[in-house]
Amino acid sequence: MQSSLQIKDLQLFRQSEQLLNLNELVNGGDVLTIMGPSGSGKSSLLNWLTGTLPSVFSASGEVWLNGQNIGDLPANSRHIGVLYQDALLFSHLSVAGNILFAMPKGNKKQRLEKVDQALEQVGLKDMGDRHPDSLSGGQQARVALLRMLLSEPKAILLDEPFSKLDTQLRVDTRKLVFDLIREHKLPAIMVTHDHSDAEAAQGKIITLHSQEHLQSDSQELLTREVHVR
Amino acid sequence: MTSNIKTDVFTRMVKLSPRFLLALLLLPIFAGLISVLLPAFGWAPELEQTSIGLHGFYALWQTPGLSQMVTLSVSTGLISTLLAFIITLMILAAFFNSPWLNRIQRLLSPILVIPHAAAAIAVGFLIAPSGMISRLLSPWLTGWELAPNGLFPHDPYGISIILGLTLKELPFLLLMALGVLAQPELGKKLRQQHKVALNLGYCPMTAFFKVILPSLYPLLRLPILAVLAYASASVEMPLILGPNTPPTLAVAIMHWFSDVDLNLRIKASAGALLQLTLTGGLLALWLGGEKAVKVLFSGLMTNGQRRYGSAFWQTITLVLTTLVIAFILLSLIGLVMWSVAGFWRFPAVMPDQFVLSHFQNALMQMSEPLFNTLAIGIITTVFATIITLLCLESEQLTAKPMSRFTSLVIYIPLLVPSIAFLFGLVWMQQLVHNQTSFFNVVFTHLLFVLPYVFLSLSSSYRRLDPRFAHVAASLGASPAKVFLQIKLPQLFSPILIAIALGLAISFGQYLPTLLAGGGRISTITTEAVTLANGASRRTSAVYAIMQMVLPLIGFILAWLLPKYFFKSAHR
Repeated sequence: MQSSLQIKDLQLFRQSEQLLNLNELVNGGDVLTIMGPSGSGKSSLLNWLTGTLPSVFSASGEVWLNGQNIGDLPANSRHIGVLYQDALLFSHLSVAGNILFAMPKGNKKQRLEKVDQALEQVGLKDMGDRHPDSLSGGQQARVALLRMLLSEPKAILLDEPFSKLDTQLRVDTRKLVFDLIREHKLPAIMVTHDHSDAEAAQGKIITLHSQEHLQSDSQELLTREVHVR
Repeated sequence: MTSNIKTDVFTRMVKLSPRFLLALLLLPIFAGLISVLLPAFGWAPELEQTSIGLHGFYALWQTPGLSQMVTLSVSTGLISTLLAFIITLMILAAFFNSPWLNRIQRLLSPILVIPHAAAAIAVGFLIAPSGMISRLLSPWLTGWELAPNGLFPHDPYGISIILGLTLKELPFLLLMALGVLAQPELGKKLRQQHKVALNLGYCPMTAFFKVILPSLYPLLRLPILAVLAYASASVEMPLILGPNTPPTLAVAIMHWFSDVDLNLRIKASAGALLQLTLTGGLLALWLGGEKAVKVLFSGLMTNGQRRYGSAFWQTITLVLTTLVIAFILLSLIGLVMWSVAGFWRFPAVMPDQFVLSHFQNALMQMSEPLFNTLAIGIITTVFATIITLLCLESEQLTAKPMSRFTSLVIYIPLLVPSIAFLFGLVWMQQLVHNQTSFFNVVFTHLLFVLPYVFLSLSSSYRRLDPRFAHVAASLGASPAKVFLQIKLPQLFSPILIAIALGLAISFGQYLPTLLAGGGRISTITTEAVTLANGASRRTSAVYAIMQMVLPLIGFILAWLLPKYFFKSAHR
């Protein structure tokens, strides 16, 4: 069965002000890109998907993951992996420790072997015992990616994950992330305000408008520009 | 020209202040320790004893019940600290990122300003045979129509002491932890990492223990050690809640020192050394336990297990939190009711009538202790605040952070049991033939007030945006002017909070007031402790309430004044 992430009739409010409405299906291996200025509700969308929407927001709608409605599950039971713009590695654990933390329970030796393999795959061979703070920004981003992937998520959210990397690093890391998403056939949603990120994702792009713009602009609740490549 | 000279004086004063601070804290403590050390080994010329030997320790060894005293001190100190620490962690873990954490914080933070003696009196009222708990359960559950002969307080096992210390130290540790989490950068990072762990499938409590605690604990270590050191050697709590035969070691030492038989001072000095060893041992034990826990649990951190019976622990935490809050509220309600109670027969939950005569009577006799309390508190705190501000300013003027040594020294009065050096210090003060006991009390209070004022002010002072000072300097303002007209107004609110805290600490001092004042200086706190074991529960309640009200007024002022002055400095 192909994996999929479906958002059904989402309406997201900040107090009484509507931020967005959305109806989307993302299939495994595809990346849906959400663009828009800050304040347009991008981060709230991700928070809603992970089940950590702050209480000043409210939402209606359903989210289905692989045919299961996960809207009422707590954050820790949703199996949605998130990559943030900061690597957010745990500084009390080594590089390998960070990845082991994320992996499911199991045979200790096999888990360690898997970590070594994964590190080698992203060009971080033998760096497992290093302290995360001793790594460069790009290396940290790759460890965060491995940590997320090896937790065996069923869907992936990308919260401006490349915005703190410089240009060349950004291109390389982006390619690695998208390649791995395709390889694992996982549905992914990315929010960004960088056009090159959006293009590189090679998927559907939804552009949200800021609220001020909306209110002064028209009665239309939400203006969207949709490109499908 | 004049402004140049003034600048010089100010800058020189500022640069000298850290050394002054060191001397102020270290000299009395070392002097105190030495004047305990020498008599302990038999050298006490005032008592015409100059033979160096171990007879003080022999005398100590021969004391009946010594091992019980030691056991009581060690067990109450360790158990209460462990309980306070564990419950703090459970509350943090269960309510991390929940609005309940803020509510619990708001409910518990007033407890911080309650002096230990007042807290002990309140807890004593709660658990006494005719206390609130017993009244609430009688007669429907217990069948008691008359107040029974209870075990509590003063139980020989120290359970009352443990309860009192735990209830008092738990809010302190919790607020210290919340203070760490309120640091802008660190707090944000930890909350995000907690979220990452949730996304990775960890249940919230496990996420706290595996992700937050390892980063949080190092910043909690010193407050915990201070609590442990205090709990193992405090005098007020065991005096009011503990057993008499035998008491804890600290209380016994106090009795020996104040005995009319001056020769007991040799034994008392030996006891003070034993106390020092015990407290040091407990601190070492805690640090060792820390290492052991780290080794034992390092494998668990990365084993991938995401929940450990979380619903069960969540429930336990909820029950414990409710119990803690209920205990605290009930003790306070009981205290207030006793202070206004007329006739109050036993199983009744409320007094038959309410009267104000206890307050009127007590207030009439209170003027001298009240004046002393305020005068000592204000002088000490103003002095402590000025030194602290100068030291923090010297950090910024020299653009060098305070040395590790100095930062550590600031904590020493919190880590060395006061019973171990205060007697020495007082002896020293008597040797200098200083008859001005008021000054001695102020000087001794300073040792305990300074650390808190410093800790309270330092973070906001260091966080002050340096660009304001740069702008002012570029406009031609001297360092003194920048300090007085730019920095201090901007720090108005934190300074007031520090002053309120300093006052609260000074108001609550029992042992330093008693000893340095030679028993001649009475404050609300010394009176409250004396009355606690005396005849009238009602008078005692009034004094305990006064002990709470005074610091509370300070904090209310610290909270209100910034709303009216230097408003522009506030955002």
